[in-house]
Amino acid sequence: MSEELSDAAAPAAIAAQEEAGAAPRAPAGFKRVYAVWFRHFRVYSNFFFANATPAIFEPLFLMLAVGLGVGNYIKQTFNGGLDYASFMAPGILAMTSLYTAAFEASYGTFIRYMYQKTYHGMLATPLTRRDIFLGELLWCGTKGMLFSSLVGLVLFLFGKVHSPAAVLIPAVGFVTSVAFAGLSFFVTSFVNSINHFQYYFTVVLTPLTFFSGLMFPVQELPANLAYIAYALPMFHVIETFRLVVSGPEHSSVPWAWACPFVLVGMAVTLGYIGVRRMEGKLKP
Amino acid sequence: MSETARVPLDFKPSGPPAIEIENLVKRFGALAAVDGVSLSIPRGICYALLGPNGAGKTTLSRMIGAVSRGDAGKLTVLGRDPWREQSEVKARLGVVMQDEVFDEDLNVLRNLQIYGLFFGRRGEAYERKIREMLKFVQLEGREQMPIQALSGGMRRRLMIARALLNEPELLILDEPTTGLDPQVRHAIWATLRALKAKGMTVLLTTHYMEEAEQLADLVGILHKGKLVVEGPPSGLIAKHLPRFVLEFDAHKDGAALDAIAAKSAIERHGDRAFVFHDSEETLRGWATASRLQGSPVRAASLEDVFLKLTGRTLDE
Ligand SMILES: Nc1ncnc2c1ncn2[C@@H]1O[C@H](COP(=O)(O)OP(=O)(O)OP(=O)(O)O)[C@@H](O)[C@H]1O
Ligand SMILES: [Mg+2]
Repeated sequence: MSEELSDAAAPAAIAAQEEAGAAPRAPAGFKRVYAVWFRHFRVYSNFFFANATPAIFEPLFLMLAVGLGVGNYIKQTFNGGLDYASFMAPGILAMTSLYTAAFEASYGTFIRYMYQKTYHGMLATPLTRRDIFLGELLWCGTKGMLFSSLVGLVLFLFGKVHSPAAVLIPAVGFVTSVAFAGLSFFVTSFVNSINHFQYYFTVVLTPLTFFSGLMFPVQELPANLAYIAYALPMFHVIETFRLVVSGPEHSSVPWAWACPFVLVGMAVTLGYIGVRRMEGKLKP
Repeated sequence: MSETARVPLDFKPSGPPAIEIENLVKRFGALAAVDGVSLSIPRGICYALLGPNGAGKTTLSRMIGAVSRGDAGKLTVLGRDPWREQSEVKARLGVVMQDEVFDEDLNVLRNLQIYGLFFGRRGEAYERKIREMLKFVQLEGREQMPIQALSGGMRRRLMIARALLNEPELLILDEPTTGLDPQVRHAIWATLRALKAKGMTVLLTTHYMEEAEQLADLVGILHKGKLVVEGPPSGLIAKHLPRFVLEFDAHKDGAALDAIAAKSAIERHGDRAFVFHDSEETLRGWATASRLQGSPVRAASLEDVFLKLTGRTLDE
């Protein structure tokens, strides 16, 4: 193929532009955010299974090995009559939503920022910095919604779902992922090397997950330790999932009804802070 | 007020300018990357910003492109404030950045489709536009290729095609031909000339004199964040220099240096010596008399103007 461009080809191509007439207008804010969301959806649908693997299978293996495997030897019941695997089910869903968002908004965001320069390309279009990270935040929520639903379906097949309110799993998954995407944006905004995320995952997220009522009832800890667990964001996520998966009669604490509100509050606050931080990182 | 030496444009532009800048400043810490630039770019012309590495060309075009914000001064692009009305301004711009940024996760066609969505464009008319533009830059048939499989020249052409998809009123190109082979460079010049002929306003940054001379109606030379001269290429040379220049190596031809110095002023820049004169004959005579090798006499160029005003070469 010739590398030569002909002057003759140009007028036809450009003339077509002028027919379009009026000055182009920028799309409305929500359409711009949707466009970013759709970009992620488009990329993601190319690699569905590769992407889904860690966030879905790790929690499911935990369920199989610990919930059903170890649980088989545990004759005691939990939270008002639940078998061990049923007790663990909400935590498994919480973990799925958390890790889905955390991976996407840390490693994923950082790679797009540092190596692929995806955002720099987006900035040459009508998108603002806020559009870019709001779209990404909503995408993280969407991914959390999809994955928690899939895991929820598996738990249902295992017979570990006990309440019809479980149809709300996608909604709780969405809000949880938005909250942790916000937190992860916040962390990503300080990170200059991709290796630093290992600290975030091992020092912050892992203990957050395991000391919030995933594996054992934290309300039975000595009072001071229990209060610490109640202060962790993950406790509220797990209790919210417990409300919809097992029903309020199996809640860990009498005030569990407040947990969904705390969760929504966290999603809004962390989402806002995270997006603001990332806007600042993509320097003007 | 402004220290820019200006030569007026050789035709009268009509209508409001596409870009208007007054004392624009952009700092990075202590460094003023753009240090009080004022200029006005009429609609329908091609303006070339010339300058060595680090002069502030990219910094200035990023502010014009509504991607970055100035620290002081006034900037109006297509009649609007590009920072306050980012989306509206960017909807009417076509931007080719210094490094090609595509979405590495998507193939050529998907890249252009998603790009359109950012501008609120999709559907059959837009798909047709994509085919048309790919044809325009001779990339038809590459729709399904991954971005990574394109050569540097193809990427640059794809950038140009992409920048035209939203029917921009103003095209901003940051070093569109740096690092490309002469063939592709000429192809891109042909494209830009065709666009200009259709009345598009083009802002171009470059290190290449030849590029500016080929394309630009107005040239601005940026140096250390300041616009040192501005004018049409031919006018600039005429204003600042005699028509011809004799250039030789001051070390190797030390004898010539003394002989010619007796007749005329010599400008030294490192090893190079420059003698300016309106008569080509005279310069040739001096060259022959001093037995200078090769053909050291040539027409004075924009590069000489730059060298004279800043004491540096453009690709330094
Ligand atoms: N984000 C940034 N942070 C700090 N300094 C910067 C930043 N961007 C640019 N600079 C500095 O500002 C100055 C102007 O840079 P700019 O990229 O605008 O130059 P340029 O004329 O485009 O150069 P080149 O020809 O190399 O592309 C340089 O000294 C550069 O180091
Ligand atoms: Mg540059």
